[in-house]
Amino acid sequence: MWCFSQVKGAVDDDVAEADIISTVEFNHSGELLATGDKGGRVVIFQQEQENKIQSHSRGEYNVYSTFQSHEPEFDYLKSLEIEEKINKIRWLPQKNAAQFLLSTNDKTIKLWKISERDKRPEGYNLKEEDGRYRDPTTVTTLRVPVFRPMDLMVEASPRRIFANAHTYHINSISINSDYETYLSADDLRINLWHLEITDRSFNIVDIKPANMEELTEVITAAEFHPNSCNTFVYSSSKGTIRLCDMRASALCDRHSKLFEEPEDPSNRSFFSEIISSISDVKFSHSGRYMMTRDYLSVKIWDLNMENRPVETYQVHEYLRSKLCSLYENDCIFDKFECCWNGSDSVVMTGSYNNFFRMFDRNTKRDITLEASRENNKPRTVLKPRKVCASGKRKKDEISVDSLDFNKKILHTAWHPKENIIAVATTNNLYIFQDKVN
Amino acid sequence: MEFKLEAHRIVSISLGKIYNSRVQRGGIKLHKNLLVSLVLRSARQVYLSDPCPGLYLAGPAGTPAPPPQQPGEPAAGPPAGWGEPPPPAARAAWPEPERPAVPDAPWVGGAEPTATVTGAADAPQGRAADAAEAAWGRVEGPREAAARGAGSPAGGSDAFPEAPQAARRPCACPSGGEDRRGAAAASPGADRRCAPPPSADESPAPPAVCPRKRGAAGVGGGPAGCPAPGSTPLKKPRRNLEEQPGREEDDGAEEMETGNVANLISIFGSSFSGLLRKSSGGGREEEEGEESGPEAAEPGQICCDKPVLRDMNPWSTAIVAF
Repeated sequence: MWCFSQVKGAVDDDVAEADIISTVEFNHSGELLATGDKGGRVVIFQQEQENKIQSHSRGEYNVYSTFQSHEPEFDYLKSLEIEEKINKIRWLPQKNAAQFLLSTNDKTIKLWKISERDKRPEGYNLKEEDGRYRDPTTVTTLRVPVFRPMDLMVEASPRRIFANAHTYHINSISINSDYETYLSADDLRINLWHLEITDRSFNIVDIKPANMEELTEVITAAEFHPNSCNTFVYSSSKGTIRLCDMRASALCDRHSKLFEEPEDPSNRSFFSEIISSISDVKFSHSGRYMMTRDYLSVKIWDLNMENRPVETYQVHEYLRSKLCSLYENDCIFDKFECCWNGSDSVVMTGSYNNFFRMFDRNTKRDITLEASRENNKPRTVLKPRKVCASGKRKKDEISVDSLDFNKKILHTAWHPKENIIAVATTNNLYIFQDKVN
Repeated sequence: MEFKLEAHRIVSISLGKIYNSRVQRGGIKLHKNLLVSLVLRSARQVYLSDPCPGLYLAGPAGTPAPPPQQPGEPAAGPPAGWGEPPPPAARAAWPEPERPAVPDAPWVGGAEPTATVTGAADAPQGRAADAAEAAWGRVEGPREAAARGAGSPAGGSDAFPEAPQAARRPCACPSGGEDRRGAAAASPGADRRCAPPPSADESPAPPAVCPRKRGAAGVGGGPAGCPAPGSTPLKKPRRNLEEQPGREEDDGAEEMETGNVANLISIFGSSFSGLLRKSSGGGREEEEGEESGPEAAEPGQICCDKPVLRDMNPWSTAIVAF
């Protein structure tokens, strides 16, 4: 039973382009929730410590830090503008008091340190409190400066900038389980970085053909295995996933495993290739499975079986007959993400009309919910929605033709430990909690 | 029939997308353009495999060989096997050796060719007679000149290779300046491709093509019969782009054929490489077009049956050309 918890972001319908949310990510403990937007900003929310009295709901998320991660740039050599939109945020596991995350736009990855300051030294001998220097001749006694509490200040500072390694647009970053290296993937290449070293990276996958006119597929997503630091996968626009082992060779152009499901010939259309392009790939927390999202479905793959997925869930099959219109209005190119819950038993992904879908792998039940301001009283239980594909529409159902294709949920995230989800509509972030009874 | 129109409409939409992608912020998205080019290829295959080659020649009244029954929306359910190589008789064909003769046409500074792209995209509007003729005329200019110098028409298969080269003639070939840099970075062969235009006597194109054009364009035989060149209504095609959906009448389709042929030829040559490489606002990085990829991948499907080719209307041959 999912309940509304909070919504963040502007209320007005006129959406400023810079406010469009482009990525959402919980950190490893779930205490912090980061969003990136098209304007290059990162906003981090922090969960309140649980109030023992109000045990029926978990802590609320409040703004913790906001900073400008990337700025628009211009590549003068190529006469190319580089968007500041944040494509991905990935958190590093916490090693000390500070938090670290990687954020990336199309070309540059940055490592940010987010640290708290709640004390400051006071009582200097040579400086006044406001910073002006005192005349040394007026100093007659000495004192030891002490730390006194101050209002909490959260500072974000860029610690590393990893630039100039990608010719094409970066679509993914993924931190290795060794917590020392990470990969970044663009349309044609994947690079391996060390978090401490910014002036070079290793190219581990390169699918650029010698003659660009022979290009037939691009890399759409890449991720490291959660446990095996030598293993990563990357998905392609042709609907295939390749698993690579970095121990096999320095350049992982040859995959160790190729996951591909043969196409159903009865579904062939002009747009078959587009809808088979994989928009997201995510390993399960266990590392045994991986999930891929293509335009109409979510597939769960067992890493031990390459020839077909073990589970397939249709997200919005009713759109299959509308592909031509969706091609015209560009919706067919929308890149939906998907995510696992903490126990790998439920998967979630977004759809149109601000709907999002959850599939329970054990019970095989699915549910469609809506992120809408209509339900914005706290602890309002979300009512399941249903889309009516064919003519006869029942009460409370929505017909396919009345779906709003401008309201799309591309980015969702699930708290790593609890049943709390963050769902991003165009410019709002909704937080829902499972009712705790 | 309906299927062919659907394919054509999809081609127009795809062209519009590629055109628009050149001015998008952040540069050209390789992934999206690749997908669009795949759709273009699919639509082209469908168009060619449609077994009514004389469709547009016969006129709006009758279709000599109606295509297989289409279920509902053609896009959703093409006939089984439509993706397979079309039967030889229906295939518009290029002999393999011709294709290198149609090298990538680097863009002549963005404005004009892109205007013709939109011209192509919206020509199906039906009001295209003027726009099409004018756009046609704009491209036709150098081609006509080339054609006039040509000898007697050779096979139709020679027609189109000339057009892009002729159209390229007035272009500022990237022999210097940033174009070279971008082009060179993109592909070492770029400079080669912008070779001086071929000698005019190679071009039988207009004579071969013009007689095949539909009456609506007012074409008789011979190059002089091609639609009168006029000033390119750059604004007009752009306005019409929005009217595009839903205007698929036979008459409109017929008229559109002639105008679009030249537009497509001049725009694409044989690939998108020039299109993407030389966009004015950006995209000079290595994100070259991939349309030739599919081309290169299907040599087996391109076989030339000259008599058939001559009989096919210019539109089909243009599709084949790219």
